[in-house]
Amino acid sequence: MTRIGNTRLAFIEALTEIASQDPRVVLVCADSVLVVKARSFAQQFPGRFVDVGIAEQNAVAVAAGMASCGLIPYVATYAGFISMRACEQVRTFVAYPGLNVRFVGANGGISAGEREGVTHQFFEDIGIMRTIPGITVVVPADQDQVRQATFAIHQAKGPVYLRIGSGRDPIVDAVPVPFQLGRIRVLADYGRDLAILANGPVLNRALQAARMLEADGIKALVADVHTVKPLDQDAILSLLRQTGAAVTIEDHNVIGGLGSAIAELACQQCPTPVVRLGLQDVYPRSGHPDELLDHYGMAIPDILAAARRAIAIRNGKDR
Amino acid sequence: MVTGPDKIDRLRDIARLIRIDVITMIYTTADGHPGGSLSVVDILTALYFDAMRIDPADPKRPDRDRLILSKGHACPALYAALARRGYFPATDLPGLRTFESHLQGHPDMNKTPGVDFTSGSLGNGVSIGLGMALAARITGQDYYVYVVTGDGEIEEGIVWEAAMSASKYRLDRLIVIVDNNGIQSSGPICEVSGLEPIIPKWEAFGWHCQQIDGHDIGQILQAVQQAKATRGRPSMILAKTVKGQGVPFMIGDNSWHKRVPTREEYEQAILALGGTLP
Repeated sequence: MTRIGNTRLAFIEALTEIASQDPRVVLVCADSVLVVKARSFAQQFPGRFVDVGIAEQNAVAVAAGMASCGLIPYVATYAGFISMRACEQVRTFVAYPGLNVRFVGANGGISAGEREGVTHQFFEDIGIMRTIPGITVVVPADQDQVRQATFAIHQAKGPVYLRIGSGRDPIVDAVPVPFQLGRIRVLADYGRDLAILANGPVLNRALQAARMLEADGIKALVADVHTVKPLDQDAILSLLRQTGAAVTIEDHNVIGGLGSAIAELACQQCPTPVVRLGLQDVYPRSGHPDELLDHYGMAIPDILAAARRAIAIRNGKDR
Repeated sequence: MVTGPDKIDRLRDIARLIRIDVITMIYTTADGHPGGSLSVVDILTALYFDAMRIDPADPKRPDRDRLILSKGHACPALYAALARRGYFPATDLPGLRTFESHLQGHPDMNKTPGVDFTSGSLGNGVSIGLGMALAARITGQDYYVYVVTGDGEIEEGIVWEAAMSASKYRLDRLIVIVDNNGIQSSGPICEVSGLEPIIPKWEAFGWHCQQIDGHDIGQILQAVQQAKATRGRPSMILAKTVKGQGVPFMIGDNSWHKRVPTREEYEQAILALGGTLP
């Protein structure tokens, strides 16, 4: 039975600790105080809590202005309202000047838009952010990773995008491996038949699929690629060389996210079959997260089939 | 900083020289926006050469007043003002928009000394200035933030998002000056958009508003003083200006929004501004 945590709470608790140590921290909300559970932050740091109302472009530009004066603003609201509604402000006024603004996008992925439907399911954010020069892009796996990632990105230079979930987020069922910004974490290692590269709330599915593959004689490893940009190129290339076959799985459109990043790397430096799982470039719908992931191409059988396909391609049997 | 009893006359002369710089830069590099650069010159002159607390020797001084030229396409005027104020040598000016120069096609805070924020994508300056003014409050600084916008660009929705927030936070150190030359890229603002009337909109958003002649440096300085004396709310100064001001043949002809003068037009413009030809 999957344990459920809360990535939103994990973020705000970590930020509250950081803010109590670092007077440069400001939280900028766009009527998103409930989204990121920021009531207590606002009470504890009234002077460093800014709510501009339902106005995300303004929130991002305000943060840019603050950062230019030496503050470290965290803009926290729904992922798509940062990455899409305020995309140009992110690009031109934060990333281009290289300012220390942190973007925290809630409801990343289709599962996090639980029951809300497409308007609140954000499966393009990673692709959009990844194409903007100079932004670090992080997709933590669960509440514990969000906590560690929040501390890690605070120390980073320049803009960072941190994706969080719905507040009902699966806890990854693996031996804890410390989070290190920009470094992959190998969470399961049965062998070198296949590399399963995943991030976010679908990691449990990747781990379960790897166990089932192992029982079936296919020895896979599962790596958490939480930092999508900059990619841990050396470690990933090493895994691709050792396995010669990869499956990516992410709660994101298959275009632009982790799968694209891995495929780009593989094509250029270590031609390897990469079978990409994720939302298959369609619009999802309302429903329970597991129902949605199962329906839209991220079910366990999808991972098993993708694994066999990647291996078959590598072995020259599926050309 | 200009002082003395003849201050206004001397500021006027600086503005005249900046206009000559603007025409020369655009002619030399064969690119740029003369019309809107000329309309904003007196505003920038009054701010950089009198109103603002700045130190060109220390362009990043934390307690300095900030200026965001939100209408970034008017940067020839900004660059000329900064050069004449001593932020960088005037010999850099002809490099405008060329590969080796720090003078980008639109202002870049990381390339050009004295540029407080990157701009060019219209409508964003008020929000960014709001962030700077909030930062002043958070960090205990007493600087003022000046945002110079075009009139056309305040058609952008983000301007009104920022206008709401600035009012909520009672940011009396945020002063917006609208260069109201009345003409945007594709024509008169009254034809292109439903922007007018401008002052009642800002007043409705809770701002202290003034209307002035944006080419009268005395009026500009007086309005800034009044804005600084206003407590508890942000200020907007609607500066009525003329696109192409100072160069008679550019006035009333909106092709000069973005156009390069010919040799003959260049000479005519320089002479009209009381300059001498090389």
